[in-house]
Order: sequence, then structure tokens, then C-alpha cells
Amino acid sequence: MAEMYNNREIEFLSDDFDLVRDKDAKISDTKLATKPTTFFKDAFKRFCKNKSSVAGAIIVLILVILSIVVPVFSKANIDKVSTIEKFLAPKLFEVGHGIKDGFWDGTREKKHIVYDMQNEVPALSEKYSVASVKQSLVRCDVDKEPTLIDVASQYASGGLIVFATDAAVDGKDAYMISKPIAFTNKGGYTLHVEFGNEEGVANSKLGEYAVYLKYGEKPEDRIYLRGSAEEFSKDYSDLDVDIQAILKDKKMSSVTAQVTFEIKSTADAIRYILIKNVTLGGGERAKNLDMLAEVSFDDASQMINVADVNSNSYWACSGRKGIHNAELYYCDYLIDTYMLVYGNADPVTYSATELNGWIQNGWCEYDYTVGPESFVKLTDDCPLDYVDSQTVLSVTKKLSSVTGRSWGYRKLGYDAMPKFILGTDASGFDLVKRAFAGLLTSLFLGVVVSAFCFAFGLVWGSISGYFGGRVDLYMERFCEILGGVPSLVVLTLAILHFGNNFGTFVFALCITGWMGTAHRTRTQFYRFKGREYVLASRTLGSSDMRLIFRHILPNSMGTIITGAAMMIPGVIGTEASLAFLNLGLQGSRAFGVMLSNNQQYLSLYPNLELFPASIIALLMISFNLFSNGLRDAFNPSLKGSD
Amino acid sequence: MGKYVLKRIGLAFVTCFIVLSLTFILVKLLPFERPIGGDPQQIAYYDRQYNLGYVYRFDRNMDDVYGPYLYRSPENKGRSNYYYMVPVMEQYVRWLGNIVLHWDWGSSKSIQPNVNASVIIMNRLPYSIKINFFSVIFSVPLGILLGIWAALKKNTMTDHTISTMVMVFISVPSFVLITFMIHIFAYRLGWLPSSWPADTSPTKQKVLGFIIPVFCLSFGSVCGYCRFVRAELCEVLESEYLLLARTKGLTRRQAIVRHALKNAMVPIFPAVLMEVIGLLTGATILETLYNIPGIGRLFLLAINYKDYDILFVDMAIFDTIGLLAGVLSDMAYGFIDPRIRMGAKK
Repeated sequence: MAEMYNNREIEFLSDDFDLVRDKDAKISDTKLATKPTTFFKDAFKRFCKNKSSVAGAIIVLILVILSIVVPVFSKANIDKVSTIEKFLAPKLFEVGHGIKDGFWDGTREKKHIVYDMQNEVPALSEKYSVASVKQSLVRCDVDKEPTLIDVASQYASGGLIVFATDAAVDGKDAYMISKPIAFTNKGGYTLHVEFGNEEGVANSKLGEYAVYLKYGEKPEDRIYLRGSAEEFSKDYSDLDVDIQAILKDKKMSSVTAQVTFEIKSTADAIRYILIKNVTLGGGERAKNLDMLAEVSFDDASQMINVADVNSNSYWACSGRKGIHNAELYYCDYLIDTYMLVYGNADPVTYSATELNGWIQNGWCEYDYTVGPESFVKLTDDCPLDYVDSQTVLSVTKKLSSVTGRSWGYRKLGYDAMPKFILGTDASGFDLVKRAFAGLLTSLFLGVVVSAFCFAFGLVWGSISGYFGGRVDLYMERFCEILGGVPSLVVLTLAILHFGNNFGTFVFALCITGWMGTAHRTRTQFYRFKGREYVLASRTLGSSDMRLIFRHILPNSMGTIITGAAMMIPGVIGTEASLAFLNLGLQGSRAFGVMLSNNQQYLSLYPNLELFPASIIALLMISFNLFSNGLRDAFNPSLKGSD
Repeated sequence: MGKYVLKRIGLAFVTCFIVLSLTFILVKLLPFERPIGGDPQQIAYYDRQYNLGYVYRFDRNMDDVYGPYLYRSPENKGRSNYYYMVPVMEQYVRWLGNIVLHWDWGSSKSIQPNVNASVIIMNRLPYSIKINFFSVIFSVPLGILLGIWAALKKNTMTDHTISTMVMVFISVPSFVLITFMIHIFAYRLGWLPSSWPADTSPTKQKVLGFIIPVFCLSFGSVCGYCRFVRAELCEVLESEYLLLARTKGLTRRQAIVRHALKNAMVPIFPAVLMEVIGLLTGATILETLYNIPGIGRLFLLAINYKDYDILFVDMAIFDTIGLLAGVLSDMAYGFIDPRIRMGAKK
């Protein structure tokens, strides 16, 4: 073999060369000392080193598991609205057995609530009976001093009646008039009226007045008791009149008359008088003592609340009738909301036939000759838990009915007193179960939408990024236009065109959601498609498919996966935000719908809003930690830096 | 450069135009929405629609030609007017004509019946701008300072605390934050009003009313800036030229102020610029939850009440501002960093 080199001919002979190595020696790579690893294994290893990310992942996992487990295992009702059970307080401890009264034991504290002096309970909504309120009350501190009010209230007492002229009817006197009463000159009838003489009723002045018995329509059919037709009185001292004596004076044996107060109207101001009480008395021979007692009143507040015009105690009035300085007591109380709803305070009466039926069924035992204490409940089928009293027919000496009580929770289908750890919402649903069921719905929505967006975005981004050029330009412009339509508008249009349901929602979120993944994939493809290994593979004749799926995609997977991991919480967040704008999956169980429904009770029952809000915040934070760790783990440039 | 700017602005307008056109056509394909109010208002509304060219008006029944009529006005001298829907594409052409020739965006159907859409927007814009303005003033310096602080104290307790707080506040959805703020400061403590004070309320109340919205809007951007600045500055602090600056004898402070900060600001400035332009757009959720009469809430009202004319103006504002902000922030890169040449080929 001869070659030319610098115009000299050099000849190489095989004998001139010696083999460095032994001819028969086997040459092979030594085995790697360390274990081989794949990209994903390595990423996982590095992810595990990042403690906060692992914590985030675990919290996400726990929340996911809870959202699956809680709705399955909790028996609480979250389908049928039960308004009677709404707004129960959170309960973990039994009343009196907790850390302190009022802490997480199903009680709710209320301050400055009107106190019903008559029944000795706080004035609650009318749907709770007095007995059940009494039973549920844990603590009730009534104000020592009453609050003086000028507004009629059924819970107020005392005070003075403000009887005033109507400013609008200027020059016309005002009357306050009782029902007609039959007086005789033998009945020993008396009238006692106490007046108040305080100034200070808003926008008006004390006025001149007259009191008389009116027994006809003519001006002379009046017996003046204070003042006269010509001159009205300004005397606000107590009025004590012996009607019997007056009738005798006037030589009238009997008269049916109405007690009338008249106020002189003046142009300058509204005039009023204050009446504390009116007592009509009668002697032994008075036949209408009941009537007298009804017309009389010693409690101005009680009188002002008489709304029934036909009632004897109603005082008709041509001017204005109000109350001044009525005494109203307020109280601060702590009430067991569970007892209020599920308690056994309200008595129920059952007939003897019903009771006998239960005895025959073997549900309970009862011997009416012994009395209520013989009642024994045998099975849970028996609707009655306690017997308080019985009625026995006087003739046959047979049982006619029994009155007893039973636990309210049994009527609502529970076997024992329910316990809702975080209370119930406006529909009477257990908040815990409702929240996790909602979370499940939202997670499902998130997974479905993310899966679609991920798949579609990946394909779109790959095509756009791999082929580039004109294809890329058009695809990008398309994205820009689609991305330019606000997602709210897309969603609204979808809802308006297809109706508000799960499918529409998924569709609307997908339409705008895939562009993130597409953009990320495209960038990655641009980054990797010019690399040497791709070029090498292309030179060897690989098809586009092989280049995309074997070479470029696996390398760009890390970044794309990280982006996708953030998509699920993103969708949940979007759903919740939309629900807040009343555009969510209305009527469904989705988390955001619950959040936005509970928003209105924020001031009264903050737990309803704060618990779900905390859950979604926790979920978002954990997802963020998780995906931050994922991003770092998939970033090869950070390898070995930690 | 100039050519590139013009090209970008032109493209932005084309995109905006296509988006608006698409929405217009899609929305107008929906069934016609009747206005609310008594007969005079309804007649006024239909007449306005007729003048804008969106409905036909006849003095006799034309059901056989145009399908069922939209509205029949009360009789006047034995005659009443019938209004019919104009085909969507024709409406579209007229809509464009009205905007281009008369700058007439139509009028409200139910939010403020028969008031010009642009007037309504103009009435509401100040509220959104005010809140955003204070939020930017508050959040930009605070966010940048926190970011710088965290970066300079990297991997110390300070940095960890700031980063954790930032992470938490960035993760928490805005409505959760607003809800908690309202609950604590308005209902529990009673320091702040629980919704936006009316225009007639006393000055003190009005000032207090700003606190919750401004805070809620700021939290997000403070965290965003902080994270951004920290990441940028950390990268710059590790670069070789900063090492060189130190080796040639600059103190740490000099090196950071003269070299690191300047370079770190390159991507931050456009972001700030974008936010300042974003002043004009309202925050829909905040405005809804806090009852602020801004254009963000208007957008939602328009959707809920199906008041389409308002919807279009509101969207036009959002789109234009969004796209222009994008263009401007791209430009800003080129201006503050000569190494970056926008629109340059490979």
C-alpha cells in the first residue's frame, strides 16, 4: 500500500505495525458500578428529597381520599332539603362535657335578644315551642334593668299609652274609645285612670283633654268625668270617679256608654296624653264584671298589642295610639341547637286505640290503672318515649288517650341524637359531608377537564412546534383569537346555547383550557427539535412520528407534566370563582356552588363559609407545593444542586 | 423597530376585531331579549334598536315574511308598530357601521334602561380605576422591596418566611381572601364597612371602604412581584459579571445597586407597565363580592341580565387594554435592554 505524502511516496507494510493488544483478548464495556436509572426514576428520587413538596403531595392525597371516603361512610343526608335541621351549630362534645360551655358543643350564643317575660324564655322564632326552647337553654342572662322602648312589642310590659292627635287631621279632635258597657245606678261602678305627665314624646306636646261617658251621637249625650264640653282639662293627676253616684245624680237608672278620651287638636303641634292604666270597677250587683275586666287594663303594653277589633279589650282610636317607655328585657343566652331541633319537649297525644295497637305489637307496655309510670318502651318502633299523663273516661273508667313525648330526632329518622361536627348549612346538610362530596365533584370535573386539555393541548402543541413555519403561524393565530375571547363569555355563551349542565361546563372549560398545555408543548418542541440527537435520528431516516414520540416528547415531558399538575387545582379554582359570579354549576354539588351559597351567611354563621374556604385554600397551597417540587425534580439543570 | 411596533399594534387590533366580531355573532344568534319596564320605555328601546338598524319596524303584521314579531307597540290612532329581527349578519354590518361612523355602541336594555352604553361605562370606569390605582401604588414598591429583601437574604429564615407567605397568598383563591377579610374586619371587629360605601356616605367611611378592596387586589400582585423579583435577582446574583464586579473592588452594596438590580429589573419593568395599563380593567370577583360599581361587576351584570350592548363595550375595553398591554410590555423590553431586539429574525 503506497500513498503520496509531500510528494514523497511512503509505503506501509503490515509488518511495520504491531498489535498493541493481544489478538484474542475480548474487548467489552465494564459493567456500570452504579445502578442505571431512568429519567422518571431520577425525578422521583429528587422529588422525594424535597420535604415540603412531599408534604403537599400527602395533603392532596389525604384530601382526595377523604373526598371519596367521607361521602361513602357518612350517613348524613345531603340530598333532601330539611329546613328544620338548618344552621345547627358545630358539635364535637356533649353539652357540659366539653372544654367549656359554648365551645364546639352544638350550642350557639346570642347576645342582646328580646326576652319573653311571660314565658320566661328568650323570644325565638315562632317555629320553636316555648317548651323546647326551655329545654334547650343552657344559660340565659336576663338584663337586670329593662330597656325603655317606644315601640309596641308583644314581649314588652308596662309603659304608658301615648294617645295623640293626628297632625294630618288638623282642627279635628281625636278620640280613644272603649266598647259599649252597660252601667246601672246600682252596680257600684267606678272608674280609675292614671295619667302620665311627661313631656318628651318626639315632635309633640302634652295636650288638653276630656274624659266622658258617651251614650249617644248627640253632643249632649255625654257625661263628663274630667273637663267639660267647653273647657278641656290639663290636669294629669289620677282620675277617680264613682259612676254609680253620677248616674244617681243625673237620675238615670241605667245607661250603655263608652268610656271616651278626647284630645283637643291644635294647629301648632301634635298633642298627646299619656295613660298608664284604666280600671273599671263594679260592686256586688254589677252583672258585667267580665266585661269591665276586659275593657280595663293595667299594662299599657298589653293593651296596645290588642289587634282584634272585635275584642272587648280593643280601644278604638281616631288619632294615633302608641306606647311610651314600655319595659323590654333583653338577654344573652346560650342555646343547644340540637336539643331545639331534636329535643323531646313537645307533648303529643295518642288515642287509646293507637296505644293498644302498639302493646299488641309488643312495642311497649302500659297499664292505665297504674298510670304513666307503668309505661315501658320495648322496641324502637314505638313512637312514644315517655308518657306524662293519661285521660280516663269518667263513665266507663276506660283509657281514652295518653299524652307523652318522644325524641324529635326519631321523627326525622335518626336512631340517636345526631352529631354534626361542623354543623349544618341552610339546607340542613352536614357541612363535612357536603364539603367533601362537593370536593369530589369538583375534583372529578378537574380531572376530566385536565385530561382532555392535556391530551388535546399535547397534540396541538406538538404539531405546531414540530412542523413550525406556516402551520405554526396559523395555529398560533387561532390560539390567540380563541384566547382573546374572555373565558366568562365562552362559558356564558355555552350555557345560553346548551343549558347549564355538567357537560356544558366541561365543554366550556376545555375550549379555553387546552391552550396552556399547547403553548408549553410547542415551546418544548422548539427547544428540542434542533438538537443533535434529533438530527442524528432524522439522518438515519426516522419518520416524523418516531422523532416526535421517541425523541422529542419524552424529553419535554417533565415541563409539560408540571404544567398539567397545576391544571386540576386551576379548574377547581375556576369553577369556584365562576360559582361566586353565579355562573357555576348551579344546583349541582360542586364545591364552588356551596361556597357561593354559604357566602350570604358569612355574618351569621361564619363556620359555613370559613371551613370550605379553608379546605380549598389548603388544597391550592398543597397543589402548589406539590407542583413546585415536581418542576424542580423534572428540571435536569438543577440535578445535583441540592 | 418602528415597523415592528406598527405591525404588533396592527395585529393586536385585528385580533381584537376578530374576537369582538365572533362574540357579536355568537351572542346575536341567541334568542332576542326583551327589555324591562313599561310601554314607553319598551317603545323607546325598540325605536333605538330600529335607529341602530337591529330591528325592522312595520305598521302592519309581516309575520309571513319575517317570522313572529318581537314586539307590538300599543295602538295609536288605531295603528300599532310591529318590530322584527334583522338577520344576524346584517346586524353585524350595521353594528360595525354604527361604531366606525358614529361611535355608537348601542344602549342598555335592563341595567340602566335606554342609557347609552358608553355613558354607563364612563360612569363606572372611575371606580375601577381608583381601586386599581391605589392597589398598584401599594403593591409595586412593596412587592419589589420584599423580593429584593428575600433574594439578598437567600436561604435564611427571612427568605423562607417571605417565600412561604408568598406561596400561601398566591395559592389562596382571591374570593377566599376577600371572604376572610370581610368576615374578620367588617363583621367580627367592625372596623371597616362590609361593602362599598355609597357615594353619599361621609368621607371617613369612604376612605375606610377602600381598605379591603385595595388590600385584596394588592395581595396577589405583591406576591407575584416578590416571587418574580426574587427569582430574577437570585439568578443575577450568581452570574459571573457580578463576581467580576466584586473582584474589581466594588462593595457588595455597589455591586448590587449598580449591576444586579439594573439587570434584574429588565423583565420586571414590563410587568409593572402591564399592571399600570391594567388599571382600566376591573376585578370582577372583588367588585361583585364587595359591591363596587365598577366595570368588572358591570360585565357580570351584563351577562346575568343579558344586556348585550353593554357586554360588547365592556369586552372591547378588556380586549383592547389586554392586547395593548401585551404589545407595550414587549416594546418595553427592547427599550430598557438594548441586547433584546424585538421581532429580530434568528
